Amino acid sequence: MISVSHLTKRYRDFVAVDDVSFEVRKGEIVGFLGPNGAGKTTTMRILAGYLSATAGDVRVAGFDVRTDSLQVRRRIGYLPESVPLYPEMRVDEYLRYRAKIKRLPARRIRPMISEVKERCGLLAMGRHVIGRLSRGYRQRVGLADALIHDPELLILDEPTLGLDPNQNRHVRELIRSLAPRHTVLLCTHILPEVERTCKRLLIIKEGRIVAADTPENLKNQLGGGNRIRAQIKGPAKDVERELSALPHVQRFHLQPGTVWTDCLVETVREVDLRPNIFALTVRNGWELRELRLDNRSLEDVYIGLTRNGAAATEIQP
Amino acid sequence: MKVFWALLRREWASFFYSPIAYVVMFFFLVLMGLSFSLLLHVLSQGPATGGVMRLLLGESLFFWLAMIMVVPIMTMRLFAEEKKIGTIETLMTAPVSDVMVVLAKYAAALSVFAILWAPTSLYAIFLAQVSPASAPIDAAAMVTSYVGIAIVGAFYLSLGLLASAMTRNQAVAAVVTFVTLCILFFWGFMPYYTRSVPIQEFGRYTSSLLHMMEFSRGVLDTRPIVLYVSSTAFILFVTVKMVESRKWRR
Repeated sequence: MISVSHLTKRYRDFVAVDDVSFEVRKGEIVGFLGPNGAGKTTTMRILAGYLSATAGDVRVAGFDVRTDSLQVRRRIGYLPESVPLYPEMRVDEYLRYRAKIKRLPARRIRPMISEVKERCGLLAMGRHVIGRLSRGYRQRVGLADALIHDPELLILDEPTLGLDPNQNRHVRELIRSLAPRHTVLLCTHILPEVERTCKRLLIIKEGRIVAADTPENLKNQLGGGNRIRAQIKGPAKDVERELSALPHVQRFHLQPGTVWTDCLVETVREVDLRPNIFALTVRNGWELRELRLDNRSLEDVYIGLTRNGAAATEIQP
Repeated sequence: MKVFWALLRREWASFFYSPIAYVVMFFFLVLMGLSFSLLLHVLSQGPATGGVMRLLLGESLFFWLAMIMVVPIMTMRLFAEEKKIGTIETLMTAPVSDVMVVLAKYAAALSVFAILWAPTSLYAIFLAQVSPASAPIDAAAMVTSYVGIAIVGAFYLSLGLLASAMTRNQAVAAVVTFVTLCILFFWGFMPYYTRSVPIQEFGRYTSSLLHMMEFSRGVLDTRPIVLYVSSTAFILFVTVKMVESRKWRR
Protein backbone atom coordinates (compact mmCIF):
# COMPACT_ATOMS: atom_id res chain seq x y z
CA MET A 1 0.00 0.00 0.00
CA ILE A 2 2.77 2.38 0.95
CA SER A 3 6.21 1.97 -0.49
CA VAL A 4 8.85 4.47 0.55
CA SER A 5 12.41 4.13 -0.65
CA HIS A 6 15.33 6.37 0.22
CA LEU A 7 13.06 9.25 1.19
CA THR A 8 14.93 12.39 2.20
CA LYS A 9 13.53 15.79 3.13
CA ARG A 10 16.03 18.56 3.70
CA TYR A 11 15.27 21.99 5.06
CA ARG A 12 17.74 24.84 5.00
CA ASP A 13 19.73 23.87 8.04
CA PHE A 14 18.67 20.37 8.95
CA VAL A 15 17.62 17.06 7.51
CA ALA A 16 14.12 16.20 8.73
CA VAL A 17 13.93 12.80 7.06
CA ASP A 18 17.15 11.04 6.16
CA ASP A 19 17.15 8.18 3.64
CA VAL A 20 14.07 6.44 5.03
CA SER A 21 12.72 3.27 3.44
CA PHE A 22 9.76 1.19 4.54
CA GLU A 23 6.77 -0.71 3.22
CA VAL A 24 3.24 -1.02 4.51
CA ARG A 25 1.16 -3.86 3.11
CA LYS A 26 -2.53 -3.64 2.35
CA GLY A 27 -4.74 -4.18 5.40
CA GLU A 28 -1.97 -3.65 7.93
CA ILE A 29 -2.20 -1.38 10.94
CA VAL A 30 1.26 0.04 11.41
CA GLY A 31 2.34 2.18 14.33
CA PHE A 32 4.70 5.02 13.55
CA LEU A 33 6.63 6.08 16.62
CA GLY A 34 9.37 8.46 17.46
CA PRO A 35 10.23 11.45 19.62
CA ASN A 36 8.84 14.87 18.75
CA GLY A 37 10.77 16.36 15.87
CA ALA A 38 12.03 12.98 14.63
CA GLY A 39 10.43 13.42 11.20
CA LYS A 40 7.07 11.66 11.65
CA THR A 41 4.89 14.57 10.64
CA THR A 42 7.14 15.46 7.71
CA THR A 43 6.94 11.87 6.45
CA MET A 44 3.15 11.86 6.78
CA ARG A 45 2.84 15.19 5.01
CA ILE A 46 4.91 13.89 2.12
CA LEU A 47 2.72 10.77 1.91
CA ALA A 48 -0.41 12.95 1.91
CA GLY A 49 0.97 15.19 -0.82
CA TYR A 50 1.24 18.32 1.31
CA LEU A 51 5.03 18.51 1.00
CA SER A 52 7.31 17.10 -1.62
CA ALA A 53 10.42 15.10 -0.91
CA THR A 54 13.92 16.38 -1.55
CA ALA A 55 14.88 12.93 -2.81
CA GLY A 56 13.53 9.42 -2.90
CA ASP A 57 10.59 7.53 -4.26
CA VAL A 58 7.23 7.43 -2.47
CA ARG A 59 4.33 5.40 -3.78
CA VAL A 60 0.84 4.97 -2.38
CA ALA A 61 -1.36 2.27 -3.93
CA GLY A 62 1.10 2.18 -6.81
CA PHE A 63 0.85 5.90 -7.57
CA ASP A 64 3.85 8.17 -7.31
CA VAL A 65 3.06 10.99 -4.85
CA ARG A 66 5.07 13.40 -6.95
CA THR A 67 3.46 12.85 -10.34
CA ASP A 68 0.04 11.43 -9.39
CA SER A 69 -0.64 13.48 -6.30
CA LEU A 70 -4.38 13.78 -6.91
CA GLN A 71 -4.77 10.03 -7.41
CA VAL A 72 -2.88 9.44 -4.17
CA ARG A 73 -4.92 12.00 -2.24
CA ARG A 74 -8.17 10.39 -3.39
CA ARG A 75 -7.06 7.22 -1.64
CA ILE A 76 -5.83 8.78 1.59
CA GLY A 77 -7.71 9.96 4.64
CA TYR A 78 -5.31 12.18 6.53
CA LEU A 79 -5.84 13.51 10.03
CA PRO A 80 -3.18 16.07 10.95
CA GLU A 81 -2.11 16.32 14.57
CA SER A 82 -3.59 19.78 15.15
CA VAL A 83 -6.99 18.67 13.75
CA PRO A 84 -7.61 21.84 11.74
CA LEU A 85 -11.32 22.55 11.22
CA TYR A 86 -13.36 25.56 10.15
CA PRO A 87 -14.75 26.92 13.43
CA GLU A 88 -17.72 28.70 11.86
CA MET A 89 -19.18 25.61 10.19
CA ARG A 90 -21.58 23.07 11.62
CA VAL A 91 -20.52 19.42 11.87
CA ASP A 92 -22.88 18.19 9.13
CA GLU A 93 -22.08 21.13 6.92
CA TYR A 94 -18.34 20.50 7.29
CA LEU A 95 -18.61 16.78 6.58
CA ARG A 96 -20.77 17.44 3.52
CA TYR A 97 -18.24 19.96 2.22
CA ARG A 98 -15.34 17.58 2.80
CA ALA A 99 -17.23 14.70 1.15
CA LYS A 100 -17.80 16.86 -1.91
CA ILE A 101 -14.24 18.04 -2.32
CA LYS A 102 -13.06 14.48 -1.79
CA ARG A 103 -15.22 13.54 -4.76
CA LEU A 104 -17.62 11.19 -3.04
CA PRO A 105 -20.49 10.55 -5.50
CA ALA A 106 -23.55 12.69 -4.64
CA ARG A 107 -25.83 9.75 -3.84
CA ARG A 108 -23.34 8.36 -1.31
CA ILE A 109 -22.81 11.61 0.60
CA ARG A 110 -25.83 11.45 2.90
CA PRO A 111 -25.51 7.77 3.92
CA MET A 112 -21.76 8.15 4.35
CA ILE A 113 -22.14 11.15 6.66
CA SER A 114 -24.54 9.15 8.85
CA GLU A 115 -22.17 6.21 8.83
CA VAL A 116 -19.05 8.11 9.87
CA LYS A 117 -20.98 10.09 12.46
CA GLU A 118 -22.17 6.85 13.98
CA ARG A 119 -18.71 5.29 13.92
CA CYS A 120 -17.16 8.35 15.53
CA GLY A 121 -19.92 8.94 18.09
CA LEU A 122 -21.14 12.19 16.55
CA LEU A 123 -24.76 11.29 15.83
CA ALA A 124 -26.17 13.94 18.15
CA MET A 125 -23.68 16.61 17.11
CA GLY A 126 -24.64 17.28 13.49
CA ARG A 127 -26.14 20.71 14.14
CA HIS A 128 -23.40 21.91 16.47
CA VAL A 129 -21.00 24.66 15.46
CA ILE A 130 -17.47 23.24 15.34
CA GLY A 131 -15.91 26.23 17.07
CA ARG A 132 -17.90 25.52 20.22
CA LEU A 133 -17.11 21.80 20.44
CA SER A 134 -14.83 20.35 23.12
CA ARG A 135 -11.41 19.03 22.22
CA GLY A 136 -12.64 15.45 22.22
CA TYR A 137 -15.47 16.19 19.81
CA ARG A 138 -13.23 18.20 17.52
CA GLN A 139 -10.90 15.20 17.42
CA ARG A 140 -13.81 12.99 16.42
CA VAL A 141 -14.94 15.40 13.72
CA GLY A 142 -11.40 15.25 12.33
CA LEU A 143 -11.51 11.47 12.38
CA ALA A 144 -14.93 11.46 10.69
CA ASP A 145 -13.49 13.71 7.98
CA ALA A 146 -10.58 11.31 7.43
CA LEU A 147 -13.06 8.44 6.97
CA ILE A 148 -15.70 10.27 4.93
CA HIS A 149 -14.57 9.17 1.46
CA ASP A 150 -13.91 5.59 2.52
CA PRO A 151 -10.18 5.81 1.77
CA GLU A 152 -7.96 2.79 1.25
CA LEU A 153 -5.25 4.29 3.44
CA LEU A 154 -5.68 6.24 6.65
CA ILE A 155 -2.86 8.34 8.00
CA LEU A 156 -3.71 9.35 11.53
CA ASP A 157 -1.48 11.66 13.53
CA GLU A 158 -2.28 11.32 17.26
CA PRO A 159 -5.96 10.43 16.75
CA THR A 160 -6.65 9.96 20.47
CA LEU A 161 -5.12 13.19 21.70
CA GLY A 162 -7.46 14.94 24.10
CA LEU A 163 -9.91 12.06 24.43
CA ASP A 164 -11.04 10.68 27.77
CA PRO A 165 -10.34 6.99 28.53
CA ASN A 166 -13.77 5.84 27.31
CA GLN A 167 -13.51 7.71 24.04
CA ASN A 168 -9.95 6.51 23.78
CA ARG A 169 -10.99 2.88 23.87
CA HIS A 170 -13.78 3.62 21.42
CA VAL A 171 -11.37 5.14 18.90
CA ARG A 172 -8.91 2.30 19.39
CA GLU A 173 -11.65 -0.19 18.59
CA LEU A 174 -12.68 1.90 15.62
CA ILE A 175 -9.13 1.85 14.25
CA ARG A 176 -8.85 -1.89 14.79
CA SER A 177 -12.13 -2.40 12.96
CA LEU A 178 -10.74 -0.60 9.90
CA ALA A 179 -8.41 -3.49 9.07
CA PRO A 180 -8.27 -5.47 6.86
CA ARG A 181 -10.41 -3.41 4.49
CA HIS A 182 -8.36 -0.29 5.15
CA THR A 183 -4.67 0.21 5.76
CA VAL A 184 -3.74 2.40 8.70
CA LEU A 185 -0.56 4.30 9.50
CA LEU A 186 -0.99 5.36 13.10
CA CYS A 187 1.25 7.88 14.73
CA THR A 188 1.03 8.21 18.49
CA HIS A 189 3.00 8.56 21.70
CA ILE A 190 0.70 6.37 23.74
CA LEU A 191 2.61 3.11 23.74
CA PRO A 192 0.08 0.75 25.36
CA GLU A 193 -2.34 1.92 22.67
CA VAL A 194 0.13 1.00 19.95
CA GLU A 195 0.76 -2.39 21.48
CA ARG A 196 -2.94 -3.16 21.49
CA THR A 197 -3.70 -1.77 18.05
CA CYS A 198 -0.73 -2.27 15.75
CA LYS A 199 0.62 -5.40 14.17
CA ARG A 200 3.86 -3.79 13.22
CA LEU A 201 5.89 -0.79 14.37
CA LEU A 202 8.19 1.67 12.70
CA ILE A 203 10.36 3.65 15.07
CA ILE A 204 12.00 6.76 13.71
CA LYS A 205 14.72 8.79 15.39
CA GLU A 206 16.41 11.87 14.02
CA GLY A 207 15.00 11.24 10.57
CA ARG A 208 16.08 7.60 10.37
CA ILE A 209 14.18 4.38 10.90
CA VAL A 210 15.78 2.65 13.88
CA ALA A 211 13.42 -0.30 14.14
CA ALA A 212 10.71 -1.94 12.06
CA ASP A 213 9.14 -5.09 13.46
CA THR A 214 6.24 -6.53 15.46
CA PRO A 215 5.96 -5.34 19.08
CA GLU A 216 6.74 -8.88 20.33
CA ASN A 217 9.89 -9.25 18.27
CA LEU A 218 11.11 -5.85 19.36
CA LYS A 219 10.64 -6.78 22.97
CA ASN A 220 12.41 -10.09 22.47
CA GLN A 221 15.36 -8.44 20.80
CA LEU A 222 15.89 -6.57 24.03
CA GLY A 223 16.97 -9.60 26.03
CA GLY A 224 14.37 -12.27 25.58
CA GLY A 225 14.45 -13.62 29.12
CA ASN A 226 12.01 -13.06 31.92
CA ARG A 227 12.27 -10.43 34.56
CA ILE A 228 10.99 -11.24 38.03
CA ARG A 229 10.50 -8.88 40.93
CA ALA A 230 10.29 -10.13 44.48
CA GLN A 231 10.27 -8.66 47.96
CA ILE A 232 11.78 -10.92 50.56
CA LYS A 233 12.18 -10.44 54.30
CA GLY A 234 15.54 -11.96 55.13
CA PRO A 235 19.23 -11.11 55.54
CA ALA A 236 20.31 -9.45 52.28
CA LYS A 237 23.54 -11.40 52.09
CA ASP A 238 21.76 -14.75 52.43
CA VAL A 239 19.14 -13.75 49.91
CA GLU A 240 21.86 -12.79 47.45
CA ARG A 241 23.61 -16.11 47.91
CA GLU A 242 20.41 -18.06 47.39
CA LEU A 243 19.39 -16.11 44.32
CA SER A 244 22.78 -16.47 42.67
CA ALA A 245 22.47 -20.22 43.03
CA LEU A 246 19.29 -20.33 40.93
CA PRO A 247 19.57 -21.78 37.43
CA HIS A 248 19.45 -19.68 34.21
CA VAL A 249 19.97 -16.40 36.05
CA GLN A 250 21.57 -13.85 33.76
CA ARG A 251 21.89 -11.17 36.39
CA PHE A 252 20.16 -9.97 39.47
CA HIS A 253 19.92 -6.83 41.49
CA LEU A 254 19.19 -6.40 45.19
CA GLN A 255 18.02 -3.33 46.97
CA PRO A 256 18.13 -3.96 50.73
CA GLY A 257 15.57 -1.96 52.69
CA THR A 258 15.05 -1.71 56.43
CA VAL A 259 13.00 -4.89 56.55
CA TRP A 260 12.26 -5.97 53.00
CA THR A 261 14.76 -6.59 50.28
CA ASP A 262 13.77 -5.75 46.74
CA CYS A 263 15.05 -8.31 44.26
CA LEU A 264 15.14 -8.15 40.48
CA VAL A 265 16.11 -11.36 38.72
CA GLU A 266 16.68 -11.69 35.00
CA THR A 267 16.83 -15.05 33.33
CA VAL A 268 18.67 -16.04 30.20
CA ARG A 269 15.76 -17.65 28.46
CA GLU A 270 12.06 -17.61 29.09
CA VAL A 271 12.33 -19.67 32.24
CA ASP A 272 9.85 -18.93 34.98
CA LEU A 273 11.77 -18.88 38.26
CA ARG A 274 8.84 -17.84 40.39
CA PRO A 275 8.26 -21.31 41.91
CA ASN A 276 11.98 -21.61 42.64
CA ILE A 277 12.03 -18.27 44.43
CA PHE A 278 8.98 -19.20 46.43
CA ALA A 279 10.59 -22.51 47.34
CA LEU A 280 13.83 -20.93 48.51
CA THR A 281 12.03 -18.48 50.80
CA VAL A 282 10.07 -21.33 52.33
CA ARG A 283 13.25 -23.37 52.75
CA ASN A 284 14.95 -20.52 54.60
CA GLY A 285 11.90 -19.54 56.59
CA TRP A 286 11.80 -16.05 55.07
CA GLU A 287 8.69 -14.09 54.32
CA LEU A 288 7.65 -13.23 50.78
CA ARG A 289 5.54 -10.13 50.13
CA GLU A 290 5.64 -9.76 46.37
CA LEU A 291 6.47 -12.07 43.49
CA ARG A 292 5.65 -11.07 39.96
CA LEU A 293 6.74 -11.24 36.36
CA ASP A 294 7.85 -7.81 35.21
CA ASN A 295 8.70 -8.17 31.57
CA ARG A 296 9.97 -5.43 29.39
CA SER A 297 7.32 -3.14 28.10
CA LEU A 298 7.22 -1.49 24.75
CA GLU A 299 8.15 1.63 26.63
CA ASP A 300 11.54 0.11 27.51
CA VAL A 301 12.04 -0.75 23.85
CA TYR A 302 11.05 2.71 22.76
CA ILE A 303 13.22 4.50 25.29
CA GLY A 304 16.13 2.18 24.57
CA LEU A 305 15.90 2.93 20.86
CA THR A 306 15.23 6.63 20.92
CA ARG A 307 17.16 7.92 23.91
CA ASN A 308 20.25 9.85 22.92
CA GLY A 309 23.36 7.71 22.95
CA ALA A 310 21.50 4.76 24.41
CA ALA A 311 22.50 1.28 23.44
CA ALA A 312 19.47 -0.74 22.51
CA THR A 313 20.21 -3.50 24.98
CA GLU A 314 20.95 -1.41 28.03
CA ILE A 315 19.14 -2.62 31.11
CA GLN A 316 17.36 -0.36 33.49
CA PRO A 317 16.60 -1.86 36.88
CA MET B 1 -16.79 21.31 -11.63
CA LYS B 2 -18.78 20.02 -8.65
CA VAL B 3 -15.66 20.28 -6.54
CA PHE B 4 -15.08 23.84 -7.70
CA TRP B 5 -18.65 24.69 -6.78
CA ALA B 6 -18.23 23.18 -3.30
CA LEU B 7 -15.05 25.20 -2.74
CA LEU B 8 -16.73 28.37 -3.97
CA ARG B 9 -19.73 27.88 -1.71
CA ARG B 10 -17.54 27.42 1.31
CA GLU B 11 -15.76 30.67 0.56
CA TRP B 12 -19.06 32.49 0.27
CA ALA B 13 -20.33 30.95 3.47
CA SER B 14 -17.22 31.87 5.42
CA PHE B 15 -17.37 35.42 4.08
CA PHE B 16 -20.99 35.95 5.02
CA TYR B 17 -20.64 34.17 8.37
CA SER B 18 -18.04 36.70 9.41
CA PRO B 19 -18.96 40.17 10.64
CA ILE B 20 -16.30 41.63 8.33
CA ALA B 21 -18.64 41.19 5.36
CA TYR B 22 -21.26 43.45 6.86
CA VAL B 23 -18.78 46.04 8.05
CA VAL B 24 -17.29 46.17 4.55
CA MET B 25 -20.70 46.50 2.94
CA PHE B 26 -21.73 49.20 5.37
CA PHE B 27 -18.69 51.40 4.77
CA PHE B 28 -18.76 50.73 1.07
CA LEU B 29 -22.33 51.93 0.80
CA VAL B 30 -21.60 54.94 3.03
CA LEU B 31 -18.74 55.95 0.73
CA MET B 32 -20.76 55.42 -2.43
CA GLY B 33 -23.68 57.26 -0.85
CA LEU B 34 -21.41 60.22 -0.15
CA SER B 35 -20.24 60.10 -3.74
CA PHE B 36 -23.85 60.11 -4.90
CA SER B 37 -24.90 62.97 -2.63
CA LEU B 38 -21.96 64.98 -3.89
CA LEU B 39 -23.15 64.27 -7.42
CA LEU B 40 -26.64 65.46 -6.58
CA HIS B 41 -25.13 68.60 -5.11
CA VAL B 42 -23.14 69.29 -8.27
CA LEU B 43 -26.13 68.54 -10.51
CA SER B 44 -28.31 70.90 -8.53
CA GLN B 45 -25.96 73.72 -9.53
CA GLY B 46 -26.66 73.16 -13.23
CA PRO B 47 -25.92 70.68 -16.04
CA ALA B 48 -22.76 68.63 -15.49
CA THR B 49 -19.85 68.75 -17.86
CA GLY B 50 -18.32 65.44 -18.91
CA GLY B 51 -21.17 63.17 -17.89
CA VAL B 52 -22.81 62.02 -14.70
CA MET B 53 -20.98 58.71 -14.36
CA ARG B 54 -17.68 60.47 -14.53
CA LEU B 55 -18.65 62.53 -11.48
CA LEU B 56 -20.01 59.51 -9.65
CA LEU B 57 -17.13 57.13 -10.38
CA GLY B 58 -14.14 58.15 -12.44
CA GLU B 59 -13.28 61.40 -10.76
CA SER B 60 -14.84 60.83 -7.38
CA LEU B 61 -12.42 60.58 -4.47
CA PHE B 62 -15.00 58.48 -2.61
CA PHE B 63 -15.05 55.94 -5.41
CA TRP B 64 -11.29 55.45 -5.20
CA LEU B 65 -11.35 55.39 -1.43
CA ALA B 66 -13.94 52.64 -1.60
CA MET B 67 -11.89 50.61 -4.14
CA ILE B 68 -8.66 50.93 -2.18
CA MET B 69 -10.20 50.23 1.23
CA VAL B 70 -12.63 47.46 0.39
CA VAL B 71 -10.41 45.19 -1.70
CA PRO B 72 -7.75 44.51 1.00
CA ILE B 73 -10.38 43.75 3.63
CA MET B 74 -12.22 41.41 1.29
CA THR B 75 -9.15 39.46 0.23
CA MET B 76 -7.04 39.38 3.40
CA ARG B 77 -8.50 36.24 4.93
CA LEU B 78 -8.67 34.09 1.77
CA PHE B 79 -5.40 32.20 2.32
CA ALA B 80 -4.00 33.82 5.47
CA GLU B 81 -6.81 32.50 7.66
CA GLU B 82 -6.46 28.94 6.34
CA LYS B 83 -2.76 29.09 7.09
CA LYS B 84 -3.34 30.50 10.55
CA ILE B 85 -5.84 27.88 11.68
CA GLY B 86 -4.07 25.11 9.77
CA THR B 87 -6.95 24.13 7.49
CA ILE B 88 -4.65 24.73 4.53
CA GLU B 89 -3.24 21.28 5.37
CA THR B 90 -6.57 19.46 5.20
CA LEU B 91 -7.54 21.50 2.13
CA MET B 92 -4.34 20.74 0.23
CA THR B 93 -4.35 17.05 1.13
CA ALA B 94 -7.86 16.67 -0.29
CA PRO B 95 -7.88 15.67 -3.96
CA VAL B 96 -8.11 19.24 -5.26
CA SER B 97 -5.44 20.92 -7.32
CA ASP B 98 -3.72 24.12 -6.25
CA VAL B 99 -5.03 25.85 -9.39
CA MET B 100 -8.60 24.96 -8.51
CA VAL B 101 -8.27 26.26 -4.95
CA VAL B 102 -6.79 29.56 -6.15
CA LEU B 103 -9.49 29.98 -8.79
CA ALA B 104 -12.30 29.14 -6.37
CA LYS B 105 -11.07 31.68 -3.84
CA TYR B 106 -10.64 34.26 -6.57
CA ALA B 107 -14.10 33.59 -8.00
CA ALA B 108 -15.57 33.96 -4.53
CA ALA B 109 -13.88 37.34 -4.03
CA LEU B 110 -14.92 38.52 -7.47
CA SER B 111 -18.56 37.52 -7.00
CA VAL B 112 -18.80 39.16 -3.58
CA PHE B 113 -17.28 42.28 -5.14
CA ALA B 114 -20.05 42.20 -7.77
CA ILE B 115 -22.69 41.83 -5.04
CA LEU B 116 -21.17 44.85 -3.33
CA TRP B 117 -21.60 46.94 -6.46
CA ALA B 118 -25.06 45.77 -7.45
CA PRO B 119 -26.99 48.21 -5.22
CA THR B 120 -25.21 51.19 -6.81
CA SER B 121 -27.17 50.64 -10.03
CA LEU B 122 -30.17 51.94 -8.06
CA TYR B 123 -28.58 55.39 -8.14
CA ALA B 124 -29.27 55.57 -11.86
CA ILE B 125 -32.92 54.61 -11.40
CA PHE B 126 -33.27 57.10 -8.56
CA LEU B 127 -31.65 59.86 -10.59
CA ALA B 128 -34.00 59.20 -13.51
CA GLN B 129 -36.94 59.61 -11.13
CA VAL B 130 -35.88 62.90 -9.58
CA SER B 131 -34.12 64.56 -12.50
CA PRO B 132 -36.01 67.05 -14.67
CA ALA B 133 -33.84 65.99 -17.65
CA SER B 134 -35.34 63.26 -19.85
CA ALA B 135 -32.28 60.98 -19.68
CA PRO B 136 -29.86 62.19 -16.98
CA ILE B 137 -27.56 59.18 -17.39
CA ASP B 138 -26.14 57.91 -20.63
CA ALA B 139 -26.92 54.19 -20.57
CA ALA B 140 -23.83 53.32 -22.61
CA ALA B 141 -21.60 55.27 -20.23
CA MET B 142 -23.13 53.36 -17.37
CA VAL B 143 -22.38 50.01 -18.99
CA THR B 144 -18.78 50.95 -19.78
CA SER B 145 -18.38 52.29 -16.24
CA TYR B 146 -19.31 48.93 -14.80
CA VAL B 147 -17.01 47.18 -17.28
CA GLY B 148 -14.24 49.42 -15.97
CA ILE B 149 -15.07 48.67 -12.33
CA ALA B 150 -15.15 44.94 -13.12
CA ILE B 151 -11.74 44.76 -14.78
CA VAL B 152 -9.96 47.18 -12.44
CA GLY B 153 -11.57 45.43 -9.48
CA ALA B 154 -10.57 42.03 -10.88
CA PHE B 155 -6.95 43.12 -11.03
CA TYR B 156 -6.97 44.64 -7.53
CA LEU B 157 -8.59 41.53 -6.08
CA SER B 158 -5.94 39.31 -7.65
CA LEU B 159 -3.26 41.41 -5.94
CA GLY B 160 -5.09 41.01 -2.64
CA LEU B 161 -5.31 37.25 -3.15
CA LEU B 162 -1.56 37.06 -3.82
CA ALA B 163 -0.78 39.06 -0.68
CA SER B 164 -2.99 36.73 1.33
CA ALA B 165 -1.18 33.68 -0.07
CA MET B 166 2.15 35.12 1.05
CA THR B 167 1.45 35.33 4.78
CA ARG B 168 -0.41 33.67 7.63
CA ASN B 169 -1.27 37.02 9.15
CA GLN B 170 -4.44 38.67 7.84
CA ALA B 171 -3.41 42.14 8.95
CA VAL B 172 -0.14 41.87 7.05
CA ALA B 173 -2.01 40.74 3.93
CA ALA B 174 -4.42 43.68 4.22
CA VAL B 175 -1.67 46.26 4.73
CA VAL B 176 0.45 44.92 1.87
CA THR B 177 -2.56 45.05 -0.45
CA PHE B 178 -3.59 48.49 0.75
CA VAL B 179 -0.12 49.97 0.22
CA THR B 180 0.19 48.35 -3.21
CA LEU B 181 -3.16 49.77 -4.29
CA CYS B 182 -2.23 53.21 -2.93
CA ILE B 183 0.98 53.16 -4.96
CA LEU B 184 -0.99 52.12 -8.05
CA PHE B 185 -3.51 54.89 -7.40
CA PHE B 186 -0.95 57.65 -6.95
CA TRP B 187 0.92 56.35 -9.95
CA GLY B 188 -2.23 57.43 -11.79
CA PHE B 189 -1.26 61.08 -11.24
CA MET B 190 2.18 60.64 -12.82
CA PRO B 191 1.15 61.96 -16.25
CA TYR B 192 0.26 65.28 -14.60
CA TYR B 193 3.37 65.71 -12.53
CA THR B 194 6.25 64.86 -14.80
CA ARG B 195 7.73 66.71 -17.74
CA SER B 196 9.44 63.58 -19.04
CA VAL B 197 7.56 62.54 -22.15
CA PRO B 198 8.28 58.78 -21.93
CA ILE B 199 7.01 58.67 -18.33
CA GLN B 200 3.94 60.65 -19.34
CA GLU B 201 3.29 58.18 -22.12
CA PHE B 202 3.83 55.17 -19.86
CA GLY B 203 1.65 56.74 -17.21
CA ARG B 204 -1.18 57.25 -19.63
CA TYR B 205 -1.13 53.57 -20.53
CA THR B 206 -1.04 52.32 -16.95
CA SER B 207 -3.01 54.83 -14.87
CA SER B 208 -6.12 53.28 -13.37
CA LEU B 209 -7.38 56.78 -12.69
CA LEU B 210 -7.24 57.74 -16.37
CA HIS B 211 -8.70 54.40 -17.39
CA MET B 212 -11.68 54.84 -15.10
CA MET B 213 -12.19 58.40 -16.34
CA GLU B 214 -12.32 57.08 -19.88
CA PHE B 215 -14.65 54.20 -19.04
CA SER B 216 -17.01 56.46 -17.10
CA ARG B 217 -17.12 58.79 -20.09
CA GLY B 218 -18.48 55.95 -22.16
CA VAL B 219 -15.29 55.07 -24.02
CA LEU B 220 -14.64 51.36 -24.33
CA ASP B 221 -10.93 51.14 -25.03
CA THR B 222 -9.52 47.66 -25.58
CA ARG B 223 -6.00 48.58 -24.46
CA PRO B 224 -6.77 48.83 -20.72
CA ILE B 225 -8.98 45.75 -20.99
CA VAL B 226 -6.06 43.74 -22.38
CA LEU B 227 -3.76 45.23 -19.75
CA TYR B 228 -5.98 44.35 -16.79
CA VAL B 229 -7.03 40.93 -17.99
CA SER B 230 -3.47 39.86 -18.74
CA SER B 231 -2.13 41.38 -15.51
CA THR B 232 -4.82 39.56 -13.53
CA ALA B 233 -3.97 36.28 -15.24
CA PHE B 234 -0.30 36.78 -14.45
CA ILE B 235 -0.94 37.61 -10.77
CA LEU B 236 -3.17 34.55 -10.43
CA PHE B 237 -0.41 32.43 -11.95
CA VAL B 238 2.06 33.82 -9.40
CA THR B 239 -0.48 33.07 -6.65
CA VAL B 240 -0.70 29.43 -7.73
CA LYS B 241 3.11 29.21 -7.64
CA MET B 242 3.05 30.82 -4.21
CA VAL B 243 0.60 28.21 -2.93
CA GLU B 244 2.69 25.42 -4.47
CA SER B 245 5.83 26.76 -2.85
CA ARG B 246 4.88 25.20 0.51
CA LYS B 247 6.00 21.92 -1.00
CA TRP B 248 9.59 22.81 -1.67
CA ARG B 249 10.26 25.88 0.49
CA ARG B 250 13.12 25.41 2.91
